[in-house]
Amino acid sequence: MIKDDQEQIRSILKKAFPPVDAVPRRDLWLAVLRKLDQRAAATPWYDWAMAALLAGLLVIFPKFIPVLFYHL
Amino acid sequence: MELLERFARGDVEAFETLFRQLHGDVYGWILRIVRDPGIAEDLTVETFWRMYRARARFDPKQSIGAWARRIATNAALDYLRTRRPETELPADLPQAPSPDAALQREMREQIRRAFDRLPTKLRVAAVLALVEERPYEEIADALGTSVGAVKLRVFRAVRRLRKQLDQLGVHP
Repeated sequence: MIKDDQEQIRSILKKAFPPVDAVPRRDLWLAVLRKLDQRAAATPWYDWAMAALLAGLLVIFPKFIPVLFYHL
Repeated sequence: MELLERFARGDVEAFETLFRQLHGDVYGWILRIVRDPGIAEDLTVETFWRMYRARARFDPKQSIGAWARRIATNAALDYLRTRRPETELPADLPQAPSPDAALQREMREQIRRAFDRLPTKLRVAAVLALVEERPYEEIADALGTSVGAVKLRVFRAVRRLRKQLDQLGVHP
């Protein structure tokens, strides 16, 4: 009974989902390389954390702003 | 083995060689799950990016093909979880030349909609097992679960689909 039901659903689904042609239409390697480059160029989270920390310190101790500019 | 070790160390040339060997299988596997060539291409790129990112965790003694398939399945699952259920007919279905064909088309549309309403995990197990007729062992490996769990998912998918089709009045 369960097997018959499964077979019937299999047959229904096979009609609803035609076979797919499993060959990519373009060379995807360049897209992979682009993605690797993009992600590598992204700013890591700890850089943002350092920037936020520095900004926070300058808000609390504004007199250090000229010192920072002097060292830049 | 040397190629896999080079890949695990981050050698891009070794990665490209592996890409050339595996991308057809990975693309085909994803396409069987998502049924859309454009989406399958994007997810293939995503899969290889995830593979490269996770290369340090890859054990060169294990099968790279099975590992790639598991990552591809996860990428496809992530996509299906965020995608809205399909409400329009895909372009691959032919136009209806007669009332009979229109009825068939309407029925297929209802079946696809009912199928889209299944939970993602059940849908993926059912499409791979029932439509693509992939071996349960292969599906279990790709989903990172047991053969018994895959069989249970397929059983639950069939039961839910049957119930939904009955509610819609679809009696093929």
